[in-house]
Amino acid sequence: MSTYRYSEQSQPPDAKQITDVAIERFDEVFEVDPKLMSAHVVQQVFPNWDTLRIVASRHDHLDWMHRHWAEKVVSGQRLLDELED
Amino acid sequence: MTIAPELAEPVLEELRQVLGDEHVLTGKAARFNRARVPAPFPVHRWAERVPDLVVLPGSTAEVSEVVRIANAHRIPIVPRDGGTGLTDGAVPLRHGIVVDVKRMNDIKEIDEVNRTCTVGTGINMLKLNEVLGKYGLIYPDDPASYPCSLVGGRIGTSGWSLIGSRYGHSRDLVLSFDFVLPSGKVIHLGDGAGHKLSKSSSGYQLKHLFMGHQGTLGIATEATLKLFPKPEAELSPFFAFPDYDSAYRTVGQLARAGVATFAGAVLFDEWKVDYLRRDDEAYISQPADVRALVCAVAYGYEDEVIAGGRRLMRIAKENGARYLGDEVSEGDWAARHDRYATPLHGRTKAGQVVPMSWHCEDAAINYSNLPQVRIEWHEIVRKLRERFDMFDDWGMFTYTSANTGVDYLAEIDVGIWEQQLDDESWAAWVQAKKDIAAVALHYGGSISACHGSCREGEVDLVPQELGGGYDVMLDVKRAIDPNNIMNPGKYGLDRAYQLDEGVGR
Ligand SMILES: Cc1cc2nc3c(=O)[nH]c(=O)nc-3n(C[C@H](O)[C@H](O)[C@H](O)COP(=O)(O)OP(=O)(O)OC[C@H]3O[C@@H](n4cnc5c(N)ncnc54)[C@H](O)[C@@H]3O)c2cc1C
Repeated sequence: MSTYRYSEQSQPPDAKQITDVAIERFDEVFEVDPKLMSAHVVQQVFPNWDTLRIVASRHDHLDWMHRHWAEKVVSGQRLLDELED
Repeated sequence: MTIAPELAEPVLEELRQVLGDEHVLTGKAARFNRARVPAPFPVHRWAERVPDLVVLPGSTAEVSEVVRIANAHRIPIVPRDGGTGLTDGAVPLRHGIVVDVKRMNDIKEIDEVNRTCTVGTGINMLKLNEVLGKYGLIYPDDPASYPCSLVGGRIGTSGWSLIGSRYGHSRDLVLSFDFVLPSGKVIHLGDGAGHKLSKSSSGYQLKHLFMGHQGTLGIATEATLKLFPKPEAELSPFFAFPDYDSAYRTVGQLARAGVATFAGAVLFDEWKVDYLRRDDEAYISQPADVRALVCAVAYGYEDEVIAGGRRLMRIAKENGARYLGDEVSEGDWAARHDRYATPLHGRTKAGQVVPMSWHCEDAAINYSNLPQVRIEWHEIVRKLRERFDMFDDWGMFTYTSANTGVDYLAEIDVGIWEQQLDDESWAAWVQAKKDIAAVALHYGGSISACHGSCREGEVDLVPQELGGGYDVMLDVKRAIDPNNIMNPGKYGLDRAYQLDEGVGR
């Protein structure tokens, strides 16, 4: 179990510039560059755990959607590998 | 008020007698929440669209009584289901009574032998499929509003489905329905004397007439739907291309291949790829030389999906596609069923993020005309944005409509900063909509493949699209709804009542 520390949770990891308009703070979680959110839509302070929770719940939702439509998902990579063999 | 004050109390009393007090809503929240749909509009004119009251009937008999009362008092009536329609169909342009059918959401029968189910039209497809899944069945009407649009709205709009290339669209999937005419009379529409035929040759084919009318002819209350086995397997490969032309060629070949499990393909153009790079909807990490994307989807038994999938992968590979990997492919397809997750922001010309609503201009276009339509549509939106910083080009999708690749749903997404709209910018937007629709017609298409064409701008061109058929539409409207109580103000149908005065046609 890890201890919850407010200071850690309210300090997001340093941003990596991905393109001139998008950044990445957590692996595979992309955000609009904050400098573009300074006039009309201002960014809120967001605890790290909440960002990760929203991302995880989106993934849960997408997994649910696959199961909702079909029993299983066929891997495109597998079919491509077969073609290339 | 469209309900004259001297009528208001007696009418309310009559409605309460039929529905019970709790199902006749006059409060501000209930009425304002049913004044609009997601399509942007000048919010400073919200009050023009607020209904006088909202009713929540629980049965066909109650809907019939409500309509009878409204007809007797000549009160406008607007059917409303999920309220997700993008052409303002459920917006009460003349105030009056909104009939919200969401309470009518029960599953009345699942017939496993004939593969049908019968439901109240207030049911949502996702909720229905949760139940059908337990029987190994599915109702495959799959709009990008899948979690929140409802069966009655699908009938009212004659909706388009993402996987219609395999399973058909709402008009193919809805077998029959009970329908309340503007007089309050209840009829059953569909083939045969029962409820469960998919094909007959007897008489006029009325089912089609009573689908896609945007609530202008009456209210569907109970529907019998065609069911399929729930697919065993899904495949949804996603490919990147260095230019639009090779993506366009690939999508055409995928659709024309005749693969039985092929359920649809979507082409993202350069503008859409740029939009995704901004992370306004979803960020897909991709090299800078990617200029267009294609995703395809197949459903069926695992062995047939694999066999058909091999062919689809080969076609893409031969056209120079780069596969984006299983994670992106699968994640993106799952997200297509639910485009309400769009964050709804866009950019000013200076690049600042602003709150924007999503507007989708769609049209039905033949494959061979897609490239030219795309160029002309983007030019219309570019000129609009040049004048007004509250519009943003979010790019284009083109989706297969049929399993032969004949026609596509072409969609240009436009972000609109609603709070900034004033009369001048709204008028410019309406003109742009008209120009977009005119391009679709110029290339032999239809103004809408998907949600209908009764908003300001596009609606002016409907007579041009339908030609002499539009006159028939006026005659039908007047014959079925002589008092013009059903969703008045839509599709220019008021003209039907001005014919005697020499106006119209
Ligand atoms: C994010 C998003 C994605 C979308 N993607 C698609 C898509 O892929 N395909 C597509 O086809 N559409 C799409 N749409 C548009 C919309 O979801 C469809 O038009 C849908 O069919 C509307 O259903 P609804 O239940 O919300 O109907 P509503 O908006 O409530 O009503 C639509 C029209 O039907 C009439 N109506 C409603 N109920 C009845 C009834 N019981 N009897 C008679 N008339 C009735 C209304 O008066 C109105 O004119 C999308 C919308 C959104 C917001």
